[in-house]
Amino acid sequence: MSKLKLGGVSKAYGATMALRRGDLEVEAGEVHVLIGSNGSGKSTLCKIAAGSVRPDAGEVSIDGQPVRISGPQAARSLGIGIFYQELSLAAHRTVAENIFLPDLPVTAGLFVDRAALSGRAARYTALFDGVAGDGLSTDAVVENLRADQRQLVEIMKALATEAPILIFDEPTSALDRAQVDRFFDILRDLKGQGRAMIFISHRMDEIFAIGDRVTVMRDGETVATARIADTDQAEVVRHMVGEAGQGAQAAAPAPVAEGETVLAVRGISGVGYSGVSFEVRKGEILGFGGLHGQGQSRVLRAIFGAHPVASGEILLHGTRLAARGPREAIRSGLAYVSGDRGRDGVIHGRPILENVIPIHALRQRLHLANPAALRQKAQAAVEALRTKFAGFSHPINSLSGGNQQKIVIARWLIDRPDVLLLDDPTKGIDLSAKADLFALIRRLAAEGLGIVLYSSEDAELLANADRILVFNGGRVTRELTGEARTRFNLTQAAYEAA
Amino acid sequence: MNAILDLVKRPLLVALLLIVGLLLLGEWLSPGFASGQQILRLLIVAALLGIVAAGQNLVILGGREGIDLSVGGVVSLSAIIAGNLMNGADAGIPLAILACVAAGALFGLLNGLGVTLLRIPPLVMTLGMLGVLQGLLVVIRQGIPSGRAAPGLSQFVSQPFLLGLPGIIWLWIAVGVAMALLLNRTIFGQRVYAIGSNEHAAWMAGVPVRLVRIGIFMLSGVFAAIAGICLLGYSGSSFANVGEQYMLPSIIAVVFGGTSLAGGKGGYTGTMAGAFMLVILQSILTTVNIDESGRQMVFGATLLVLMLFYGRGKAMRA
Repeated sequence: MSKLKLGGVSKAYGATMALRRGDLEVEAGEVHVLIGSNGSGKSTLCKIAAGSVRPDAGEVSIDGQPVRISGPQAARSLGIGIFYQELSLAAHRTVAENIFLPDLPVTAGLFVDRAALSGRAARYTALFDGVAGDGLSTDAVVENLRADQRQLVEIMKALATEAPILIFDEPTSALDRAQVDRFFDILRDLKGQGRAMIFISHRMDEIFAIGDRVTVMRDGETVATARIADTDQAEVVRHMVGEAGQGAQAAAPAPVAEGETVLAVRGISGVGYSGVSFEVRKGEILGFGGLHGQGQSRVLRAIFGAHPVASGEILLHGTRLAARGPREAIRSGLAYVSGDRGRDGVIHGRPILENVIPIHALRQRLHLANPAALRQKAQAAVEALRTKFAGFSHPINSLSGGNQQKIVIARWLIDRPDVLLLDDPTKGIDLSAKADLFALIRRLAAEGLGIVLYSSEDAELLANADRILVFNGGRVTRELTGEARTRFNLTQAAYEAA
Repeated sequence: MNAILDLVKRPLLVALLLIVGLLLLGEWLSPGFASGQQILRLLIVAALLGIVAAGQNLVILGGREGIDLSVGGVVSLSAIIAGNLMNGADAGIPLAILACVAAGALFGLLNGLGVTLLRIPPLVMTLGMLGVLQGLLVVIRQGIPSGRAAPGLSQFVSQPFLLGLPGIIWLWIAVGVAMALLLNRTIFGQRVYAIGSNEHAAWMAGVPVRLVRIGIFMLSGVFAAIAGICLLGYSGSSFANVGEQYMLPSIIAVVFGGTSLAGGKGGYTGTMAGAFMLVILQSILTTVNIDESGRQMVFGATLLVLMLFYGRGKAMRA
């Protein structure tokens, strides 16, 4: 009998099916690995088990008894503890307070018993003695801790629930090798105590080091469960990619890029990325792939001058680019489009025209804004993207998300840049807008622009990029060219150890 | 048509209705309150406030909790500089204007540098600057006499100048036109809105955020300085804290005119109506014998009520 069983659970957010059919059985005394690409539904499945998301359908049972988990509180009382991938610590409170946040020890029914708190918390901080680094003590304030230390506190918080069922959603992403090894020792210890654990990680080596069984998810469904001892990495990747993805490779044959090099990046390093080198030729679309958040965005921002570069150099047309900020980068001929248009792109509440012309105004050093003349310039740019809008004087927020993004992209089309950096540009926009956008990108490449495309959707990369660099842990770990640009290779490269 | 629709937004309409309502109320309380002569006098006073509020308007539009509490100090300083340089003679006018505008720009520059380079919140920076200005005024007052306005200046401010309207009203109209052009027909104006609406996106689109913000504070100083010169012409001679009365009302006029305290939204037309409305309100309070402290309380309360209606939604989102 399984300790925890989820059978046929599903969850939809509006028209989006986050989870179609999730099945998972976890035994007492095992570490059960859950794996799948971005958006495959594994986080939703965990949230259902933890009570923070309620399923639309399906059954959950503990020790064979069907249960209804109505909320996080209920999950806790049913004996389920969870480590959340989005850190949930209170920044201004101490480590001890965070560890016991759900139930602080209290004296006289009112005051927090500090002595008892520190004493109990010390049991958990002691678990990571020697690997936690300086400054991690029970009375340290969380906001003063490093990212890896905060993640350790989050782990301690999950451990302190002493729950028979523990869920760890990417608990090792910020940890170093020694910390991971210690964490695994703790997991083995818990296994010996008969606890049931779910472990999500994107690192294939970790999965095979600690897992007893693995369940693979794809497109919101559970596709396979196997004993780790009976499988291997290639088989797991095949399950993740699916039958259809086995042979699937880039739709367009990669044209041999013959153009001159427009952008050359030589060994740049900074916060979140290191030793990144590549070249982009005229007319080439270079793809950035890999799991989300492996440094792709940071490298693009760094080239654009919006994220610091500690070392290395960036050459545009062979001359060293010393962009102190986006302003200089734009003037030298770079363009950058962010997928987070609400933060990086849209000037909210302002007319569409004002959202199209800033780059033109900068590059032409304009001071006067003659609406008629600017409209004419903007017209061609927005038409190239088949943007639907009522008039240039309407506020940009009156448009749909896809059309807003088209307006933000149209900015860069009045005065053509030499290199276009696309940072997951289709995030959250509709299919037809995506199609228009990629049609434009191909056209721009054909006209001789050098394009770097980071996309969190593998299909977009395979269909559009001539060459793909796979990022892992802030480094480029693999380059896929020509025939090698397959979904299998892309997935395998993304999940292999950095 | 769209432009007209955009112009007649709700806050402006509300302000205009209130202006008419307050004038009727004043006429009822004290017959003759809304006579042509009297309205003209109110407009002169409103012009002084309106010119200060133009600068305040830009600072608030620029966002990041933009506010200029030092405008009153700059008005006072400018009135004293102008009084001394003119000392009752028309010949001193050009130099006085030059010196006042330069002083206004200088203190605006200091505010701008403090806010951008030192990252001091505008509220703190300009409040500190106000303190500096007040101290400076005391020092100046001890050393030199206050000086008198040039007759030409006094005439410009209060005597008919063109089509029966005093020069200062024409000046206010000119400021209104200049502000409309600046905000709608220049790249600088668009950048003011852009940094007020989404500073990060503006930066990513190459807007020189710091320079624009420094420019905004300098313009605020210059507008306050111009108002200081006019105030000298209006009152004949200057006294130490003559400009203090403008700090709170200049903010109220802007907010009342529909400009969001969170930045990026609004314009000067509403501010003009707001300034006029405030001056009428002030006059009514005087008519019914409410003293200065009572008026201050009413103004403070007005700002709080305005925040309730206009400011809150956007401010909480930002």
